[in-house]
Amino acid sequence: MPSYPRSKIGFLINPVAGMGGAVGLKGTDGLAKEARKRGAKPLATQRAKESLHLLARQADLLFFFTASGAMGERELEECGLNYAVAYSAPEESSAEDSKAACKAFLENGIDLLLFCGGDGTARDVAFAAGQVPILGIPAGVKMHSGVFAISPQAAAELMLGYARGELKTRETEIVDVDEELYRSGELQTRLYCTARTPYQPALVQERKRIYSSGSEEEFKNQIALFATEFMRDGSAYILGAGTTTSRIAELLGVEKTLLGVDVVQNGRLILKDASEKDLIELLNQGKKAKIIVSPIGAQGFILGRGSQQISSAVLRRAGPESLIIVATPHKLAELSHLLVDTGDQEMDSALAGRRQVVAGYRMAQIKELKAASDLLQVRGRERSQKVPKEYV
Amino acid sequence: MKIKYLLDEEEIPKKWYNVAADMPTPLDPPLHPGTLKPLNPQDMELIFPKALIQQEMSSDRWINIPEEVRDIYRLWRPTPLYRAAALEKALKTPARIYYKYEGVSPAGSHKPNTSVPQAYYTMKEGKERLATETGAGQWGSARSLATCLFGLKCTVYMVRASYDSKPYRRSAMRVWGAECLPSPSDRTNFGRKVLAEMPDTPGSLGIAISEAVEDAATHDDTNYSLGSVLNHVLIHQSVEGQELKKQFELADDYPDVMFGCCGGGSNFPGMCFPFIPDKLKDKKDLRMVACEPTACPSLTKGLYAYDFGDTAGMAPVIKMYTLGHDFIPPSIHAGGLRYHGDAPLLCNLVHDGLIEATALQQIEVFQAATVFARSEGIIPAPEAAHAIKPAIDEALRARQTGEAKTIFISLSGHGHFDMAAYDAFNDGKLVDYEYPADLVKQSLAKLPKV
Repeated sequence: MPSYPRSKIGFLINPVAGMGGAVGLKGTDGLAKEARKRGAKPLATQRAKESLHLLARQADLLFFFTASGAMGERELEECGLNYAVAYSAPEESSAEDSKAACKAFLENGIDLLLFCGGDGTARDVAFAAGQVPILGIPAGVKMHSGVFAISPQAAAELMLGYARGELKTRETEIVDVDEELYRSGELQTRLYCTARTPYQPALVQERKRIYSSGSEEEFKNQIALFATEFMRDGSAYILGAGTTTSRIAELLGVEKTLLGVDVVQNGRLILKDASEKDLIELLNQGKKAKIIVSPIGAQGFILGRGSQQISSAVLRRAGPESLIIVATPHKLAELSHLLVDTGDQEMDSALAGRRQVVAGYRMAQIKELKAASDLLQVRGRERSQKVPKEYV
Repeated sequence: MKIKYLLDEEEIPKKWYNVAADMPTPLDPPLHPGTLKPLNPQDMELIFPKALIQQEMSSDRWINIPEEVRDIYRLWRPTPLYRAAALEKALKTPARIYYKYEGVSPAGSHKPNTSVPQAYYTMKEGKERLATETGAGQWGSARSLATCLFGLKCTVYMVRASYDSKPYRRSAMRVWGAECLPSPSDRTNFGRKVLAEMPDTPGSLGIAISEAVEDAATHDDTNYSLGSVLNHVLIHQSVEGQELKKQFELADDYPDVMFGCCGGGSNFPGMCFPFIPDKLKDKKDLRMVACEPTACPSLTKGLYAYDFGDTAGMAPVIKMYTLGHDFIPPSIHAGGLRYHGDAPLLCNLVHDGLIEATALQQIEVFQAATVFARSEGIIPAPEAAHAIKPAIDEALRARQTGEAKTIFISLSGHGHFDMAAYDAFNDGKLVDYEYPADLVKQSLAKLPKV
C-alpha cells in the first residue's frame, strides 16, 4: 500500500446547528436557547460522529486541530482520532467562537478545515478560512452552499480522498438565507463569499471509465473563451454573480464584482456593481442587452437568489430570449434541474422549460429550468431516464 | 407473418454502385491542403492504393467487385432484412417497420463492407501494412479483421479515452493480429509533440487521424485507410442498399421513409444511395433521413463549405457540411457519430434536397434503443439507435393517423461493446448535449476575415 504524509485538518462542530429545524425555527442563528426550550436535541454531534467513525479507519492519515469540548474535542476523543486542542471554547459557544477557533486552526498550518453545521456555520468558517479548502458535514437546517457533502459518510470519503491526494479543489459559493425574512415566510438567499472545497468529479467512473470529464477549471476557461467570442456582437452584456461569470470578465480583462452584477460592452466595463435601477435605466436608453447568469449554490437558482438586481422588470425590458445560462458540466451533474424565482410567476413560467446551458467551448447541455413555484412539488423527485409511457 | 427476408449468397452484388453518376449537381473537387488547388491523383498515391484513388475520382455508375472480395463478403453477406413485427405490436402502430441488420458481420457492424476491399487493393499493390485511426473502436476492429484475412499487418491509433474505456475492442483487434496503440502515441512526430504539450490528454479523432496519416506517409510499405467520408468508402457500402432493394421486392413492399445514423457517412449512404435513381428517374415518393446527434450536428447545423478533413489540417480540403475542423464534440457524449463534417457525396445530396437530416438527443436515443431491445431482442449500437428514435416517432404518428406506412431502419451494428454507455443510461448518468448553433453563429459573425 502506498504511504501518504499525514494531513493537518482543522475540525469544528457547531453544537447547536440543526436544532432549530425540528422545532420550526427555520434556522438556529442566535436562537439556540429558544430551540432547547422547545425541546430540540443536538443533531450536529451525532452527524459529526457518523463521519469521524469512518475517518477513524484511516486515523494514521490525519491529525486534527480542534476546539475544546462540544466543539470537536469530545467527538474526536470518542472516535479515537489524533488531535490537539487549539482553541478553548466556553460552555455556551457562539458564532464568534467558531471564527476564533478557525483562526487558531489556520495558525497551525492546516491543509483543510472540516466542519459540521449548516449555512450559518459555513459562512463563519469560509470568511476565516480564506484560500484553505473547507468541507461541510451536513447538519444544519439550511444547506444551500456548495461546500457540503451530501451525507456525513460522503464527507468522510471526500476527506480521505483529499488526504490521499486523489481529489482536487474547486471554488464554490457560500450562500445563506436571511433567517429573519425566512421566519416571516420570505425566502431570500444571499451570496456571501466563495470558498474552495474538495470534490469528486461526478462524471468520472473509476476503472471502467467511459467519459473523461477534465477539470472544472478547464471547463470554466472553455465557457469564458466561448463567451468572449459571442460577446463580440456589440450588445451590452449583463453579467450575473458567481465564479463562472467572473471567469468571463477575467478573460476580457475586466474586474468583476464577484458578488454583484456588472455590465460590459465591446470588451469594456460600462457599469460596475449595477443596481436594478441602473440596469433599467440602461435598458430604457434603448440599449440592446443580453444577460449571462450561472446557477448559484447547491439548489441551482439562476435568478432571484444571489442576483436580485436582475429582476423581472429588467428581464421584461431585455426580453426573456436575452438570457444566456452558463455552468460547468460538473455543476450541472449535481443538479437535477435549474430553478428561477424572479418573484414574477408569469416571467418565471416564460423562462421555464428545457433550456440550453453553455457548458464548454461551443458546447451546451440541455437542462430543465423550473419555476420556483413548482419547488415544493419537484423537491425529492428522482430524475428518470426510463422509457416514456407513450412508447408502450 | 414472415419475419426474415434472406437472399442467397449468389445474390451478393457483383458491382458497387457509385451515386456520383446520378447526382443532379456535380461534386466539387477535393483540394490540396497546402496549395488549396484541386487534388491530383498523384497527391494521394503516398498514402492510398491506385485502385482506390481511381474509385475516389470515378464517375462510373458501376464498379466491379473483385471475386476475392465477394468471397469474403460471403462470411456474412447478404445480411438479413427483418420485419420488426414485435416492435410494431409494442407500438400498436399500423405502420410496417423493417430493419436490415449489419451486426451479423464478424466485427459486429457494417464497417467490413469497406475494410475488406481496402485491404484487398493494398495487398494487390504490394504493400504490407495499413495504418488507421479509430474512435470508439468499431472501425479499428473491422480494419483489423480485414487485414488479417489478407495477411497484412495493421496498426490502429485508438483515441486514448476509448483505449482506456473500451478494453474489449482492443482485445478483438489483438485477436485479429493488429497492433493497437493509444493516441497520442510516441510512435509518430505528431503524437510525441502532443504528448510533450499535454501528457494527460484523452486524445481526439483528429489527433489519431494525423498520426495514422503520418505513419503511412513516412513508411514505403504502408498505406492509410479511412472508414467513412471518402467516396470510395461510400461506393463499397452500396452493397447494403442493393441487397435491400431485392429484399423489399421479396417482401412485396417499398419504403415510404428510410432512417439511418450518420457520423461521417458510410452506413446511411450505403443503404440509401441505391434508391436515389428511383427517386430521380421513377419519381418515387421516398424520404431518406440521415440521423445525427445534437452534440455533433454537422448536417443540421453546419455550414456547407470547404473545410479540412482532419484537425491537424493534413487531410484534403473537401466541400461538406462542417462544424469546423477544430470542433471536438463533448467527451461525455456516449453515442458516437463524432466527426465534424460529413461525406461530400452525402452533403451534395442533402444540399440538393434529395436527402433530409435530423438531430437527436442522446437520452431519447437510448430510450428508443431500450424499447427496440425489449421487443426485437437485438441490443443496438448507440450509433444505430439514432435511426430507431425517429422511426419510432414516425410509427407513433402513423398510430395517430391510421396510415399503414412502410418505415425502414438501417441497423448498422450491435451494442455489445457499448454496455458501459447503456449502464450510464440506466443509472441516470447521461446528459443531453446540444451544439449552441445561434451563439456560435454570433461568435463567428464578427471574426476578422483571414
